[in-house]
Amino acid sequence: MLGTFTVSRPTELGQALDLIGEESLAYWGGTELFLAMKMQLLMPGNLVDLKGIPQLREIRMSGDELVIGAGTTHDEIATDPGVRGAAGLLSSVTSRVGNSRVRAQGTIGGNLCFAEPRSDLATVLLALDAMVQLQSSSGERRLSITEFLLGPYWTAREPEELLVAVCVPIPAATGVYLKFQFTERPSVAVTAVVSDGGQPCRLAIGAVADVPALHTAESWDEFDAASIAAGIEPVPDLTGSVTYKRHLTEVLVKKAIAAVRAGERDG
Amino acid sequence: MADGGELGRTVRANVNGTEVSRYVANRSTLAQFLRDDLGLTGTKVSCELQVCGVCSVLVDGSPVSACTYLAVDIDGRKVETVEGLADGDTLHPLQQAFVEEFALQCGFCTPGFLMMSVALLRRNPDPSEEDVKEYLDGNICRCTGYRPIVEAVQLAATRMREDGHV
Ligand SMILES: Cc1cc2nc3c(=O)[nH]c(=O)nc-3n(C[C@@H](O)[C@@H](O)[C@H](O)COP(=O)(O)OP(=O)(O)OC[C@H]3O[C@@H](n4cnc5c(N)ncnc54)[C@H](O)[C@@H]3O)c2cc1C
Ligand code: FES
Ligand code: FES
Repeated sequence: MLGTFTVSRPTELGQALDLIGEESLAYWGGTELFLAMKMQLLMPGNLVDLKGIPQLREIRMSGDELVIGAGTTHDEIATDPGVRGAAGLLSSVTSRVGNSRVRAQGTIGGNLCFAEPRSDLATVLLALDAMVQLQSSSGERRLSITEFLLGPYWTAREPEELLVAVCVPIPAATGVYLKFQFTERPSVAVTAVVSDGGQPCRLAIGAVADVPALHTAESWDEFDAASIAAGIEPVPDLTGSVTYKRHLTEVLVKKAIAAVRAGERDG
Repeated sequence: MADGGELGRTVRANVNGTEVSRYVANRSTLAQFLRDDLGLTGTKVSCELQVCGVCSVLVDGSPVSACTYLAVDIDGRKVETVEGLADGDTLHPLQQAFVEEFALQCGFCTPGFLMMSVALLRRNPDPSEEDVKEYLDGNICRCTGYRPIVEAVQLAATRMREDGHV
């Protein structure tokens, strides 16, 4: 049962920025927020519906970046030909999030802002070296995924800031995304990608610990699955103990690296 | 822009082809609104976590879990529920195929499966078995087993392609 609250429906970004704050939370799909409100973990007095702001759902190329509006749904990302061409791995991951209703309503912005530790998007966007663009009525700033995600359900976003877009450098890194999942969300997710810029070999491990972790190197030979798995702090839950999840991580790291070295690519 | 300050609003929406105008509380879910205010009890509620799919309906053609969707958010939109599928006494091809393939027993999950199948066939009129399984993955049936459901969706797809049903 939801508590009582008012709802504002801005039609322009500026209006939304004036409305948002500690007690006045934005929502798009509500696929995370309404669950938290039903459990009374969050009890905002006002909700700001972002669905009336078309500029937040644009996908475009800007210089050497793919810019995805915060209000773009998983399904829109997965089926967008531009994203598929420029960042196939992201298409593939978004096509496998949750279920078809969650993909139809849930957005990239809502996913990142809620900072649920088992987010698939946080893991893949970390591997792809994406940046998030935050805006408030007093200005804008850009953060890396590492700077943005501070802990479970905790980000660097200030209450009066909106996430407006996610920027993926293109040509985007390519690779594989493996997850071990037998409930609604993954227990462990590992992605191994090769990138043109910076360190060519990038490995991100998500869902298993408080925040996703990134490992980079010049060559895949430098990665040791056992020590990488030993270095993470898995969160035990109904899907497995610390020992079990470390084991899963080691196995997935080996598999992901073997697959990417064999030339396999998702998306 | 917005009418903040109020705990509800009058929503105007098209529900199964009928224009509806009702005052609804912000805290009402779409499932509550459909069932309690409009008497459309075909839409069921079970897990309330967006997991089981019995509450699946379409808003502007897009599938939603009505258990976790605000009723006020249908304002200005088009809602489709299981009650809108049949044309008088003539069942929708999906409903007909579900009957013929024995794709239901108690029937509690059926409205959700039907609405998700409508959404699937609109975007993919010729789905493979794998496509059907993937799209209906978020719908749970505790009686039938899934094989007859997948077969029913594919049978309906074939017939709908043949007779140009939309
Ligand atoms: C059954 C189920 C299965 C799922 N499975 C997966 C999965 O496999 N992988 C995965 O990654 N996720 C999964 N999810 C999580 C899914 O809810 C998110 O991926 C979804 O994208 C959230 O987006 P939303 O628009 O619904 O967010 P909302 O619920 O609308 O918002 C979430 C939070 O972010 C804030 N917010 C939203 N947009 C903005 C913005 N632009 N600026 C600032 N703050 C904002 C809101 O205030 C709220 O606190 C699952 C969810 C469910 C219910
Ligand atoms: S009741 Fe809505 S998904 Fe289960
Ligand atoms: S027919 Fe009984 S739950 Fe599906």
